[in-house]
Parts: sequence; structure tokens; C-alpha cells
Amino acid sequence: MYRYDEIDREVLADRVAEFREQCDRRLSGAMTEDQFKPLRLMNGLYLQLHAYMLRVAIPYGALNSAQLRVLANIARTYDRGYGHFTTRTNIQFHWIKLRDAPDILRDLAEVGLHAIQTSGNCIRNLTADPHAGATADEVDDPRIWAEAIRQWSTFHPEFSYLPRKFKIAVTAAAKDRAAIRIYDVGLRLHRDADDALSFEVRVGGGLGRLPHLSPVIRERLPVRHLLSYMQAILRVYNRHGRRDNIHKARIKILVASLGAAEFARQVEAEWELTDKAAIDLPPTELARIRATFARTGFETLPAISTVFEAAKADDRAFARFARNNVMPHKQPGYALVNVSLKAIGETPGDASAEQMEVVADLAERFSLDEARVTYEQNLLLPHVRLDDLPEVHRVLAAAGLATPNITLISDIIACPGLDYCALANARAIPIAQDIARRFADPALAERVGELKIKISGCINACGHHHVGHIGILGVDKKGEEFYQLTLGGSAEADAALGHVLGPALAADRVAPAIDQIVEVYLRERRDGERFIDTFNRAGLAPFKEVVYAPAH
Amino acid sequence: MKALTANRLADGEVVFWTGDVWSERFVDSRLFDDNAEAEAAEAHAKSNIVELVDPYLIDVAAVDGGVVPVSYRERLRALGPTNKPDHGKQAVGGADTALLATAHGAARSKGRVDLIRRK
Amino acid sequence: MPRLIRWRDGAAAWGEDALTAVDDDQPVPHGDVLVSLALFQRERRSLLGQGRNLGVIMGPTDEPESLVVDLPGLSVVALTFPKFRDGRAYSAARVLRERLGFKGELRAVGDVLLDMSVPLIRCGFDAFVPADASVPEQWTASASRFRHVYQRAADGRPPAFAERNDLSAVRV
Ligand code: SF4
Repeated sequence: MYRYDEIDREVLADRVAEFREQCDRRLSGAMTEDQFKPLRLMNGLYLQLHAYMLRVAIPYGALNSAQLRVLANIARTYDRGYGHFTTRTNIQFHWIKLRDAPDILRDLAEVGLHAIQTSGNCIRNLTADPHAGATADEVDDPRIWAEAIRQWSTFHPEFSYLPRKFKIAVTAAAKDRAAIRIYDVGLRLHRDADDALSFEVRVGGGLGRLPHLSPVIRERLPVRHLLSYMQAILRVYNRHGRRDNIHKARIKILVASLGAAEFARQVEAEWELTDKAAIDLPPTELARIRATFARTGFETLPAISTVFEAAKADDRAFARFARNNVMPHKQPGYALVNVSLKAIGETPGDASAEQMEVVADLAERFSLDEARVTYEQNLLLPHVRLDDLPEVHRVLAAAGLATPNITLISDIIACPGLDYCALANARAIPIAQDIARRFADPALAERVGELKIKISGCINACGHHHVGHIGILGVDKKGEEFYQLTLGGSAEADAALGHVLGPALAADRVAPAIDQIVEVYLRERRDGERFIDTFNRAGLAPFKEVVYAPAH
Repeated sequence: MKALTANRLADGEVVFWTGDVWSERFVDSRLFDDNAEAEAAEAHAKSNIVELVDPYLIDVAAVDGGVVPVSYRERLRALGPTNKPDHGKQAVGGADTALLATAHGAARSKGRVDLIRRK
Repeated sequence: MPRLIRWRDGAAAWGEDALTAVDDDQPVPHGDVLVSLALFQRERRSLLGQGRNLGVIMGPTDEPESLVVDLPGLSVVALTFPKFRDGRAYSAARVLRERLGFKGELRAVGDVLLDMSVPLIRCGFDAFVPADASVPEQWTASASRFRHVYQRAADGRPPAFAERNDLSAVRV
């Protein structure tokens, strides 16, 4: 993992000192709320329904055990004992006191964490493939490039006041586990026949009121020019993005209105004039960053573990966990272990301080001191020996972290919604809880197979509802919580936006409607089809018919 | 009928104006029948920048057993999140919590008075 | 004479604004003047080449590239921040400094606040008309708060990667 050096640490220390002073000025009344609000937002501190919320960045979702322990400690000391992992692989603490915020930032800085650029119209926290460094299907480690962008974008003087927020995702694998097509910039690494690395650059994806999937604006960008090309993209956007209408200010609108080809032409023209050597990282710095991600701790192990095979044969619960939550690793004898934050009836993405500590201990003992956050609001232990899986499972299960439901119907994404969020129209969490309870039987969930439900409490789409196989959007209908269903979305390589099923449903109709939709799918599906395949073949009609059938 | 609410600056806690002090319980709210009086109280609260963030008026309505905010959002602010019944004001329990949690009525999920005008 | 804050050699100090601002519909007086881009383009011939100090004030949508041939004749370019959240002038400033080689005074006008000191200076501004009653001592303190930067911009500060390179060269 990347390790902060003296320079990185001093940047954080300077920032913490600055924010402490700003907080003091606000608390003493020397500053008004209007003056203070943009400053606290730049440090990730929002005022939500019940209290302040602090959003801590977890760059490209990578954590070590010391960092997880500090997050747990913050949850316990300054909050009410839990935190919420988000689709942006950040963690949010919901019950923060302003007067504690400088101390929290100081604690975070001690382990190289911060809340910088987790709000505001700037370049936000990066996301990357959570399987980075562990999966066989990647051509390079995307975290190297994500870290390069993280540093370059931190306090970028030209791009701190963009027309709107700006989010970047990076992957190096064939399978898209970072939802790159719904990002402002989505980067996919390629390795060409001659071994040269390049990026496929997509620009202009995003959800919200006007959802777009991003088009490619450059097929092959030599990796060494990543930062100068990013500067060119951002400069075209900063100069020409709309600032007159907040709903049209994201880069997706600029790209859509110019057309991808014209936008690409403007970027290329800007890039042509850029002094690339001044902006791009020198090979020495890239090598330094690359070295911090090099994994050396792997043992040479047989590809088949007799311990693992025997445990699967003996223990059905473990076998189910292995089927659903354990994924293949590039290193023989190792596996990736998904830690489900979707226990039936619990809040999706929430983890208690104790749970964070359990994962920290497991990361330290069994996963080369690494854990990851996925955009699907789960955690992941990336480097576990097959021999250790039974023990890891036992510890996770005891902590309520081993629900065997990764990518299944109860692995639901839900934003905080009206239970916490000041912008919400409706609650998202209770809807997720209702649905999950209906599919609590793991055998039933497995029979239904891969089915991704994503719930947002308002059109801002933090819960990615547009790209859920089933998307659920909270709306306000004459003052009551209603929910609009969409079917057929996907955030992966086959990215698609969902189709509206019909008029919004009252809260107590949502979970029954999901039941009906699943029944139709089970009836209609052909051999081997996932829900999304059946939907793509059969279309909306059979689902619509059942959900909106007149009541008997 | 209206009540006056805000978040406390130092800790973000939701508070309600009693006519005298700021209370953490909705049930202590001073209820304004008179709009001018309510707006005067709001203006006065807005000048209190050391203690408060963003004071605003909310619509409240009489129901069986007492008075509750009209909007669902404001009821949640007065209670706490529904996914964690042991967090927030609802954890204290009591008759006022029960009333807020169960009251029927014309709940609007956007709670602020004159939301459109405020924007 | 109106005052502004000038940034020189790592410190801010009060300075005098020697230019007279001229409205677009006013006749241009003799002497040192600050005019809009539109007025400048209209009266270019009579404004230039009279041995006076000339400044052009640009709005957020004006393109700095449109000044390219005239830049050597200008002593001030003022860029407007309609709101502090409107960051277009940062790009314009970098283009003026780094691409078009403008050496004169680059002045920030409009909703210019103390908390913008770092990005302003990093993007090449060296004069500010603050809208928040801030004073030079505050600008000096706030602009020098961060010991390191992560990227090159118009201020010539070495980014972290260059510092690291030098450090490792020394250590070896
Ligand atoms: S989608 Fe809406 S309700 Fe949900 S977290 Fe985002 S802004 Fe809040």
C-alpha cells in the first residue's frame, strides 16, 4: 500500500492546523455560518438532519489495519459507535460535533487519512477496482495511477472551484468493478502487444437528474501522459462547463452538448499546447509510487488447499460462504474474501466500531495488512490464504460479517436517505431492510442468483439506482414517501440505464413488488440466465403486467 | 401553527425554541399561531450566530394527543433515524416520542415553511 | 488612489492602484487607464502606443487568448471573479502566465476573499482587490500556510515529486 512520506504528512498537518483555526473562529463568533460553511465543507463536514456528518476519504478504497482501527476509534469516541461506508468508498460518521472535528482530523492524519475534497466542486476522492493487486485479470495495478492522480488533484489551485464536483474511477481489469462508465472520468488500463501501457479515457458519465454513460474520448493515451491529459480535460471543463444552472453543470452535460468528438477535439487542442514535461510525473516518482504497491509477502503455496476443500465438504454454511463471498486470487493458494456489510435486517454499508476492529485484526493476521472498501458498500480482505479461510469465516460469522450474499438480492446498495440526509425525499434504509428480510433464506437468495438492487433517497442517485438491475428511487408524492422502480440497469461492462417500470409505489408496496418481479423472473428465465439477461430478452412488459395488475 | 427549530452550532443537535431557551425536545416548542410573531422570533434567532445554525420555522398541526410537525422530515428530526431506534431523541422514549412516531396526518416530506420562496 | 494588495517575494503589502477605471461608454482620458476587453478591442489603436500604462479587465467568459498579440503592451490584466466559487479566472490566469508569457500585473477583482489566497497566487495572480476587508498580514499568513504543493502551476513552486527527487539525490 502507499505509505505517506514526510511531505504527505506535513501537507495533512498544515491542513489540520488551518481547520482548527477556522473552527475556533467560527465557534467564537468571529465568522458567520455563511463564511464558514464553504470552509467546513472543504473538510468534509456537512450539517445533516440530526447532527454534523463527517465524510472521510478512503482513496481508491484501500485501508490497512491501523487506519481501520482509527476509524473504529473515531466511531466509538466521537460518534455513536458506527460508521457508514458509501458507494464512493468513503466512510461517513453521522453524529459528529463541530467542536470535535479538528481533533478527529488530527487522529485521521496520524494514519494518513483525511476528509480533504470529500465535498465541494473539486476533484473528489478517487475510486479504483477493489480487487487491484489481487486479481489475475488486470494488466497493471490501477492504484499506482489512482495515487498519482490523488496527489496531483490534492489542493489543485486551478481546479478547486470547478462548475461542479468531479469524480474519477480507474480500473485495469476486463471486468468493471469500479463502475467507471458512471464517472466524470473513467480510466481503463490496456497493455498492448508490445507491452506498452495506455489508458482508454472516458469522459462524461454520471447519474443524478440527467444520467449519462460516458463515451470514449481517447482510445490509447500513453500512461506517462496521464496527468497532463487530465489537466487538459479539466481545463476545458473549467473554462466551458455551465455555471448558470446547477443541474447542467456536470461535465456530462458539456460532453453531451458538444458531442464526444468535439469535446475530444478541444481536449486534444488544449493538450497539444500543454507543457507536458512540467506536469507529467517523472519516471522516478512513478517508480517510487509503484514500489509502494509491490506485494512481496506471498508464500509459494499449492493451488489447491486440502484444509479449504475439507471445510467446504464438512460445513454447508462455510461452503455457501465460499461460493458467494470468496473470489479467485492471482496468487496460487490465496483468495479474496468479501466481508458483507449487508446482514439481513441491518443498514446496508454500516459497520460498528467492533466490526471494524474485527476486520482490522483479520487484515493484519490473514491479509497482508490490507482491507478494501467496495462501491457496493462491502469490505474485502484481498490476500487470504485458502488454508486460513475457515478461520477467517468463523471470525467474520461471529461478528455478523459473513452473510453469504455478495451480488445476490440481499446485497442491496442503499444511500442514507431521509433517515439522515438533508436532501432526501424518502427513506432508503427501511426499504432495503424490508426487501432483504424477504430473501433472508440463503438458499432462496442463491436460487434467484445475481440481482443487484440499488436504492437512492432522491434523484442525486448516491445509491446508483439508475444502474441497478432493479433501481428504486425515493420520490415525494403529495407529501408522502413513494418509490419509483426501474429495471434493467447495470454499472458494469454492459452498463445501461434502467427503464421506468411504471407509476411510483407507496412504501409498503415496494417489497411486495420486488417479490412479484422475482417471481416473474423465476418463471420466465431460461437456462443460466441472470435476472438482467431475462430482462434484456423479455423486456418490461411481463414485469409491469404483474406489478400493476389490478388488485383482486 | 408554527414552531421554530435550528441546529446547535457546537454539536449540531436539533433544537426547538421554547420562547425562552432552546430545548432538545420538540414537545417544549413554543407554538405560534401568529405569523408575524413567528417571523420575529425567527429573525431574532438568525442573529444568534454563536449558538445556532440555520434557524427556520416549521408547520405543526394538532393531532389526537398533542401537536406534531406536519412534515415527515421534521418528525424524523424530532425523533432520530428510524433504522436506529436507540439513537437520537427517540432513545429517551416517553409520550412525546410515541406521539411523534405514530401520529397520522398530512405529512409532507419537505418540511420547511415556504420552501420554494426560501430557495 | 484606491488601494490593493500586492504579492511580491512571498509577502503581501498594500499598494496603490495607479490606473483609472474607465466605463465602456465614457471617453477615454489621457494617462494610465483600466478598460474592459470590449473597449480595448474597439479603441485598440488609440489606447496602445501612447506611452501610458494600460490595463484590461476581463470578464469570466472573455478568452485570454484574444489578447495574445497585445500582451506586451499591457501593464495590467485584471480577471473577474463574479463569485468566489466561479473558478474560471484560475484557468485564464495560468494560460496568461504559462502559455502567453504575460509578465505584467495579474490582478484579481470581484468576489475576492482571503481564503482564495493559495489558488490565486499559485495560478499567477500578484495583485488582489479583496472584497472581505482582509489585510496584507492575513494574506501573507494564509498564503504561506502550506509547506508543500503537489503540482506545478504558475508560481514556480517545486511540487512534491520534485522535492522528493532532490531529497533522494542528496541522500544518496
Ligand atoms: S441520493 Fe439523495 S437522499 Fe440519498 S444520500 Fe444522496 S442526496 Fe441524500
